[in-house]
Amino acid sequence: MLLKRVIALEGEKVELRNGKLFIDGRGIEEPYVRYPSAWNLSPRQVDKDCIYVVGDNRSMPIDDHHFGQASKSRIMGVPLW
Amino acid sequence: MVKVKYLCIAALMVILGIVIAITVFPSEEKRVKKQFRLLSGWVSKSTEENAITMLRRMKDIGSLFDAHCELKVPDQPLSGSYTREEISTYAGSARSQVSQLDLKFYDLQVVFPEKEVAKVTLTARLTGRSTAGERTDETRELECLLRKIEKKWLFSQIEVIEVLKK
Repeated sequence: MLLKRVIALEGEKVELRNGKLFIDGRGIEEPYVRYPSAWNLSPRQVDKDCIYVVGDNRSMPIDDHHFGQASKSRIMGVPLW
Repeated sequence: MVKVKYLCIAALMVILGIVIAITVFPSEEKRVKKQFRLLSGWVSKSTEENAITMLRRMKDIGSLFDAHCELKVPDQPLSGSYTREEISTYAGSARSQVSQLDLKFYDLQVVFPEKEVAKVTLTARLTGRSTAGERTDETRELECLLRKIEKKWLFSQIEVIEVLKK
């Protein structure tokens, strides 16, 4: 089981520019990210019935991090607090 | 009173019979899961393993597979069909490059889509250390197909499921 943060919903365009998250071209503040990164991810649209997830720990190189699009049916639960 | 005593004995005999039947004749699901336990044990390697055990394990691993087993790994050149002997050889070669290895399977869900075919969805975690001291820690979702051949459940397809698509 993976514990990840949902950063984009179906139909939204997700992008990372020098570590900063953009959803549909709009910059998003992410105060929960403890170790800011310099990740770059070209824009991509989240498919129908899918979500886009990334972990909060982004201290490693982007290629070493497990993140991306997953089917909504894979969501097992939400945090209690 | 005597009648009650006989009834109690009969009920005990029935319960005992059921327990024995379950133990001696495990369900197909249990038989399928057992193959995963064997694979996990035989792939795993301790630092004390000697050459004889290593050779035996190679043979043991091969015995769990069908004559041909299909491996599907997204975006990897590893995908393809492998014979039982090739699997034994590759497993031996891979195990020789690590000083310690631990393979664990979690959350096994077994269904029988057709007669003598089992489809198992599970999470596999492989941890270990290479002979050069490099650490490995990989977790993947797998979908496996096992076929019952001559009363033995054998792996005939292993697919690595892409959970997150970048």
